[in-house]
Amino acid sequence: MSETQTAEITEVEAKARLLDLKSLDNPKAMKLYRRFDGIIILVLFLFIVLGIQIHFTLTAGDWDYWIDWRDRRWWPLVAPFSLLLFIAPFQYGLWARVRLPVAGTAVTLLLCLVSWVSRYFNFYEFTHFPMSFVFPSTYIALGILLDCALVVTRSLLVSSVIGGGLFGALVYPLNWAFMAPYKVPVELNGMLMSVADLMGYQYVRTTTPEYLRIIEESTLRTFGGSVTPLTAVFSGLCGMVIYMIFLWVGSRVNAMEKFTKRIV
Amino acid sequence: MATEHAQSIALDSSTDSKVEGHFKRNRFVYGFGALVIAIGATLRIYLDTMGFSVGTDFYSDEFQVYWMPVLYGELILLGSFTVILSTYLWLTRETDASTISKELELTRYWKMLSIFSVMAIWGGLIGANAIESDAAWHQVTIRDTDFTPTHIIIFYFALPALTAMLVPAFIWVHTRVPAYMNKISIPFLAVVCGILMIMPNYGFNEWGHTFFYAEELFAAPIHYGFVFLGWSLFFLIPLAMQIISHMARLISETTAEGYQAS
Repeated sequence: MSETQTAEITEVEAKARLLDLKSLDNPKAMKLYRRFDGIIILVLFLFIVLGIQIHFTLTAGDWDYWIDWRDRRWWPLVAPFSLLLFIAPFQYGLWARVRLPVAGTAVTLLLCLVSWVSRYFNFYEFTHFPMSFVFPSTYIALGILLDCALVVTRSLLVSSVIGGGLFGALVYPLNWAFMAPYKVPVELNGMLMSVADLMGYQYVRTTTPEYLRIIEESTLRTFGGSVTPLTAVFSGLCGMVIYMIFLWVGSRVNAMEKFTKRIV
Repeated sequence: MATEHAQSIALDSSTDSKVEGHFKRNRFVYGFGALVIAIGATLRIYLDTMGFSVGTDFYSDEFQVYWMPVLYGELILLGSFTVILSTYLWLTRETDASTISKELELTRYWKMLSIFSVMAIWGGLIGANAIESDAAWHQVTIRDTDFTPTHIIIFYFALPALTAMLVPAFIWVHTRVPAYMNKISIPFLAVVCGILMIMPNYGFNEWGHTFFYAEELFAAPIHYGFVFLGWSLFFLIPLAMQIISHMARLISETTAEGYQAS
């Protein structure tokens, strides 16, 4: 390509960009911009609903379905790990391209909404588990914290340390108000267990036998102790690392906004 | 049979509405949106009604009467829909992008968004209604069989239907929208391939469950293939950026003061 041609293209591009800027003062253009913004947001959000359901159900779903699975060791580790992994590529795209720090809030809010609908229709109406046994956890405040960290620091790297860390660490305290009644100890036939455990024994899950209930493993099965804060700190570390890794994945995905030659 | 036609639109009131996407009168979105919601609701009611009464054992006579015809019908419907529509769109493709006016191009972008809106409605329905129905089903049935009502709906209709819409949409966009003609959008291709490849992954899932993993722990590694392929939805952001950049340019051009319609 000759220098003259390059200069011509640059001139054409410069004219087009000037037209873009002028259109911001054009009410008709602005009306159309807002219209297609609205449609694209609707489309993206509905697809994110599908994506987060597939992803979360098949990576951390079991811990979110049942109140007796929400233990101190695995659930606060697995749930934020899974969520941050999914949020990060969207966060990178929306922040790097249009400076919208909303992915964390959007994904956690959409997950909450779709989980309530799904638990009601599938677990309550379809298979008749009580809602008090299968209600979803909430992660919305974690998403807001993650996005706020990005807004305040304006750095994906720093926000992954602060936001990713808080996202991992605060799962348990955020949900404690909903879960506390189920952690009350009860004695049944000489066995000490929690109310949640008792519900789990009563509602037999046929293809998730007791030996597959992945909770409270190892030697720290007590009603007190320091399992929860220890897990929270480790979860914070995992949150930082996984968020950084998948922000990088997001950067690679977004670099593929290209066309390739058609083969047919 | 590829056609070559130039469609000029005068900048009258009807052109205005086309350039604006006439979303309030967009019969495609409302018609097909209502259709997919009706199909989803019908299948859901059928699952609720017949899932446990006649659907727990693939080897029973009732299952063969009430569920297998549904499976065959789904496969025939989706297969023929995808093949016929894709073939038609390819054979009637445009060959000369230069004959497409800016107004027509912008109209096609609005149509593209309409198609994506319908697919998104279907995707949302799958997320809210279908996926966890299988999780719930497996927790109350004693024995897993070759086919189950939830699999017949999720594996053989809900997700394939998304592919059945994505493949023709991919062909339509790449044969009608000038920015996409004679090349392939990588993010669009990644979304289509990811969702498409979920179906072959059923094979691994079913084989694994009959071979080494009889239980149904949803977070088990046997399901990670679905997760990985679901990540293809990450490519929606770069695809949205492609659409936004092209549409924004067209809107600024066609609404500029003194713009003469081609």
